[in-house]
Amino acid sequence: MSGWHSVTIKVPFASSKHALIAKQVIDVDRELQPQAVKRELSVDGNNLIASFDTLTVRLARLTVNAFLENVDLVVRTIEGFGEDAEKPPVRSQS
Amino acid sequence: MPGRLRKPSPLKTPDRPYLALGLEGSANKLGAGVIKHSEDGTTTVLSNVRHTYITPPGEGFQPRDTALHHREWALKVINDSLAQAHISLHDIDCICFTKGPGMGAPLQSVALVARTLSLLYSKPLIGVNHCVGHIEMGREITGASNPVVLYVSGGNTQVIAYSRQCYRIFGETLDIAVGNCLDRFARVINLSNDPSPGYNIEQGAKEGKRLVHLPYATKGMDVSLSGILSSMEAYTFDKRFRSDGRPRDADDSDIITPADLCFSLQETVFAMLVEITERAMAHIGSKQVLIVGGVGCNERLQEMMGIMAKERNGQVFATDERFCIDNGIMIAQAGLLAYRMGQVTPLAKSTCTQRYRTDQVDVTWRA
Repeated sequence: MSGWHSVTIKVPFASSKHALIAKQVIDVDRELQPQAVKRELSVDGNNLIASFDTLTVRLARLTVNAFLENVDLVVRTIEGFGEDAEKPPVRSQS
Repeated sequence: MPGRLRKPSPLKTPDRPYLALGLEGSANKLGAGVIKHSEDGTTTVLSNVRHTYITPPGEGFQPRDTALHHREWALKVINDSLAQAHISLHDIDCICFTKGPGMGAPLQSVALVARTLSLLYSKPLIGVNHCVGHIEMGREITGASNPVVLYVSGGNTQVIAYSRQCYRIFGETLDIAVGNCLDRFARVINLSNDPSPGYNIEQGAKEGKRLVHLPYATKGMDVSLSGILSSMEAYTFDKRFRSDGRPRDADDSDIITPADLCFSLQETVFAMLVEITERAMAHIGSKQVLIVGGVGCNERLQEMMGIMAKERNGQVFATDERFCIDNGIMIAQAGLLAYRMGQVTPLAKSTCTQRYRTDQVDVTWRA
């Protein structure tokens, strides 16, 4: 892997469950240039850990940028619905 | 209709009410809707919320900016649709999202939200083909049983008929979609994109008096539209063209106004669409036409199609802008039909695809 640029990001979540959800959601979409960008997602406690290896600095910037935008969207969705999802289901309408 | 045999519908009457949330974001509209299938076989639209990304006149929507719009509005639109339907996400059976076709970045943004909700609430995901969503919603709203479908929107122009678990494409555009042709022409003459370029062309066309010559390009069952767009652009450089629509003086009578161009564009393009639709009707012996897609809410297109159908003793079915223009409810409808037939999309397969043809879908819910 010599010559590859690597970036590692740690994103804290409120719980390991939410971190795992974010990992699963983001893991579905493959990188657009798999030959030039390697992505590894994992969960450590409450943290989502992403490590990227890219061929160029530009790709590192683009990949990390896109990843953070995705994390932001997932985090906002969890923020908006996470609490409601934890509540026991009540049938408000049949 | 091929074969007079009436096969029973494979779709069982629901044993309880089914609810589905549909999320759509394949182009510049972000939609969310909740649909309900009741035990008596009826379908109710509980909510249908949409937010459109509108660009300034002369500009189209770019994938990245559109995706940003969807990301910004997703939660608000979903919350509004749930509030209007008076339900919680706990109550629904499945979460449906647009798998394709469409623009990659906007599709993916909506898919991310759909996946997150699916995991949070442990609800199954259903990836839906956008075109099939349009068709199923059109059939449901209008009650057309087995129509020839003309699907006309910003990204697609297809004549479709159903046969054996497949929506088969009879004819389509060879280059650009009809909505794309209209949108880009609107940009050329600087029409507003609010509420939509097509709507403003339709209003402009009502003032048009002169039919200018445009290349009429139907090729068998297919149409070609890019040449028309080029001709339209050429007319705006014609020495007779008056961009303000007014003659220069009392003697200035041989002029072409923007309204004339709107009128000519609509007449020519819609005539081509009616022609290929009629050919498909003659071929399969159907008397029903269903118009779906964003361009389908154009009343002139509906009128022209109506004249053709009347001559063939047929009927035209069309919906208004709530269901014609991209919306979440159609995704919920098509998704729920698939879900009731036992189809679900596993998380690992919940990717989006920019190319997803109408005939790639296995339509299990129809006889």
